[in-house]
Amino acid sequence: MPDLLPVPTSMSITLDQITKRYQNTPVVNDVSLEVSDGEFFVLLGASGSGKSTLLRAIAGLTGVDHGRISLHGRDVTQVSPRKREVGFVFQNYALFKHMSVADNIEFALRVRGVKSAERRARRQELLRLVALEGMDDRLPTQLSGGQQQRVAVARALAHKPQVLLMDEPFGALDAKIREELRRTIREVQRELKISTILVTHDQEEAFALADRIGVMNLGRLLEVGRPEELYARPATRFVATFLGAANLLLARQTAQGIRVGATPVSTMLDKPANQRAELRREHEVVAMLRPEEISLAVERESLNSIYLGAGKVETISFTGAFERLRVRMVEADKAAVSADADAENLAILDVTRTQHEQRQLPLSVGQSVAVGVRRIHVLPTPLSSYSVYAVTSTEADALKQHPLLVDLATRMKTRITTQIEPGLGQAGTARPQQPLAGVAVIAAGADAGAQLDWLLQRGAAEVLILPGQYTPATRVLIHWTGEEVRRATLAVAASVLRHVPAEATYLNILPEEESDASKPSGMRELLDARSEAQAVHGLEMRTELHYGDAAALLQRELAEHTSGMLILGVTDPVDFRQRFDWLLQQSPGWPVLLVFRSEETSAPVRKMT
Amino acid sequence: MSSGPSRQLLSELASRPGRNSLADKLIRWMFISLSVVFLSALLISPLMMVLTSAFAKGMAVYARSFLDEDTFAAIKLTLTIALIVVPLNTVFGIAAAWAIAKFEFRGKSILITAIDLPIAVSPIISGLIYILLFGSQGWFGLWLQEHDISIIFALPGMLLATMFVTFPYVARELIPLMQQLGNDEEEAAITMGAGGLMTFIRVTLPKIRWGLVYGMILTNARAMGEFGAVSVVSGHIRGLTNTMPLHIEILYNEYDYVGAFAVASLLMALAIITLLIKTVIEWRGLRG
Repeated sequence: MPDLLPVPTSMSITLDQITKRYQNTPVVNDVSLEVSDGEFFVLLGASGSGKSTLLRAIAGLTGVDHGRISLHGRDVTQVSPRKREVGFVFQNYALFKHMSVADNIEFALRVRGVKSAERRARRQELLRLVALEGMDDRLPTQLSGGQQQRVAVARALAHKPQVLLMDEPFGALDAKIREELRRTIREVQRELKISTILVTHDQEEAFALADRIGVMNLGRLLEVGRPEELYARPATRFVATFLGAANLLLARQTAQGIRVGATPVSTMLDKPANQRAELRREHEVVAMLRPEEISLAVERESLNSIYLGAGKVETISFTGAFERLRVRMVEADKAAVSADADAENLAILDVTRTQHEQRQLPLSVGQSVAVGVRRIHVLPTPLSSYSVYAVTSTEADALKQHPLLVDLATRMKTRITTQIEPGLGQAGTARPQQPLAGVAVIAAGADAGAQLDWLLQRGAAEVLILPGQYTPATRVLIHWTGEEVRRATLAVAASVLRHVPAEATYLNILPEEESDASKPSGMRELLDARSEAQAVHGLEMRTELHYGDAAALLQRELAEHTSGMLILGVTDPVDFRQRFDWLLQQSPGWPVLLVFRSEETSAPVRKMT
Repeated sequence: MSSGPSRQLLSELASRPGRNSLADKLIRWMFISLSVVFLSALLISPLMMVLTSAFAKGMAVYARSFLDEDTFAAIKLTLTIALIVVPLNTVFGIAAAWAIAKFEFRGKSILITAIDLPIAVSPIISGLIYILLFGSQGWFGLWLQEHDISIIFALPGMLLATMFVTFPYVARELIPLMQQLGNDEEEAAITMGAGGLMTFIRVTLPKIRWGLVYGMILTNARAMGEFGAVSVVSGHIRGLTNTMPLHIEILYNEYDYVGAFAVASLLMALAIITLLIKTVIEWRGLRG
């Protein structure tokens, strides 16, 4: 059990599965994090991502509903903010306006009954540190914004706190002062070697300051890593597009390698080792192309990178050091399809070029160009796009409007395609009009079973079954029927949970008769699953161990809660149809995402850092 | 608490093209003179009237009015009531404002409405409810008589009535102020290790001090000038339960105009001093 493990002393801040809810919606959702001694950690996220709430929870300014917070090995979850020994810097400084700079800085020392001479010495040291010597007698109102925030930093450090927490400290300052203060804070932090967490929504700030960055979205900590690592090899769509600009293209993983549209680009492949096992299975993947990794030339022959297709310059804008272009790929569907492709499925790529590149090849709007790419990163996300399958176009349109599907697709910045298959669900070997791509989506109901079989025979690996009635899920249950599908299910679950603000629970269900003998191994399976989810997929989830018949237990669980989503890993489709056919009907009212894998696709675990 | 829009805004308005036309000047002149006429008719002329009547028979008679024992007692009683009511209502006002601004609890909106109640209720009724409660025919009347405690027609009753009519002022001044000032500075103090009392005295109190003083001044002004509620519970016993406003009425009814207006001028002077203090505080508050 994690609770029994000794906390390593080199960790100054340890968060263990922190959850904070407001009116039952988690605003901080199962966040675990370790910040080591002297580390500068930046929590990056849009407003409302839960990053500030998490910071306030560490300071004790807000309580948590679940989880543990340790500072330097001391469990402070139940300790009052007074006794946590943290320094906190607020966005709007929060200086005591009626007190002089000196009194502000000495406040914490006065509280501790420190002698006047000692207070003065400490104050002078701090003012030197933040480059405000001689300002002792000023009132905060007589200082500029940047100076006020310097005072706030000095004040937060006065009592030698164990950790420094800063909540958007540069938010209210203009660009020039911001940069100056940023440098000061970095220097102060280096000099004092104090573990620091800074919250910001500004990626440039994060890059400039952080030893490591953690990106938050919808209350979840999506990815943690060194800035250059996160930028080059993000694991999620959100991080790819939030940290800098990114073109996300749907590509195809084939036995020969990655193909973007008709172009094989496998030699450029940059794929993490843990995904290699998945290479054998042909499926759709999401490829990320940074705008600066795209090169343009007049003709294909003069490109010194891998050819992607022909394009046409749509807009050009000058941004100082760089030129930004939007290039529309001219060959429909043959070329890659990006998330923001237009109605004709023509991908639009963002491209940036340096001054040097501009001089080499001046371009104008409307010009035809050959588009090449220097580097492609394939996201390890198993969910690429959604394909709605239906017999008639009315059914397809209704399904396409489903709130959950729309939510997922918008948040994943991916597309929903419609496949009208008159033969859907009927016996026969008719090939689908289009090769299967992404997650197949069908409606729950009497026909769902036959439709599922039809899709599986044609190679579908992930199928989403949507009920007509739907209330937004606040709870996601995860279960798999065999170990072969564990890894794939966890990957799918992690991907889904990055995009819905729901809490995840993994149900491990063991047969009744084994209850005593298999208890230890059941517990181990649970913990293994949890640590794999955490290490490989960055997914935090609760775990529950049950005994009994899986189908019956799930049926009961679904009946008890009105809203939720089930992610079910399935190894044997025939067995599934026999035991879980009720899942495909309208009545449970839960959306169900099925993950089918019949062979082991696991690979050595790569720790996600 | 503000003294109108800033000079900068006004000069900007004045500089707008088209603001210097004849019609514009006329309108400006009209608004200003209308305000002056209203003020002189309703405020300045009565005040002058008070002063001229008070000094109608010369300085000596004016001064002699204050030597009267009953007058002296009335002044003393008024100051005593203010001295007791203002601190009590200050404590109540801070407590209520604190509760409303810092905590979420059931019935909060009811509390906010209840605080405003004395402003809406007629002062006569404020007095009558205490008669109904503590008068000889009231709910607690018999019990009070048995234990020889007098509330009605005595100082306690007058204190209660005055407190009732004045308790909204401090709270109403502080609630919006505390909500607007937020909680950041207090949170900063807490993360630096300060306890609740220390945070209040060193951080919150300085933040709200001008609002608090302003609320206290309003409370004081109302406490000294209250007539209706106090009139009902006082019993008008000369030299014992007459406050300045009540004493003025008695003197006036006895055709002692100089006496009545002399005391009135004193009450007026107290009001003007209060207003002056208020203005000084506002001015200092603006400077930070």
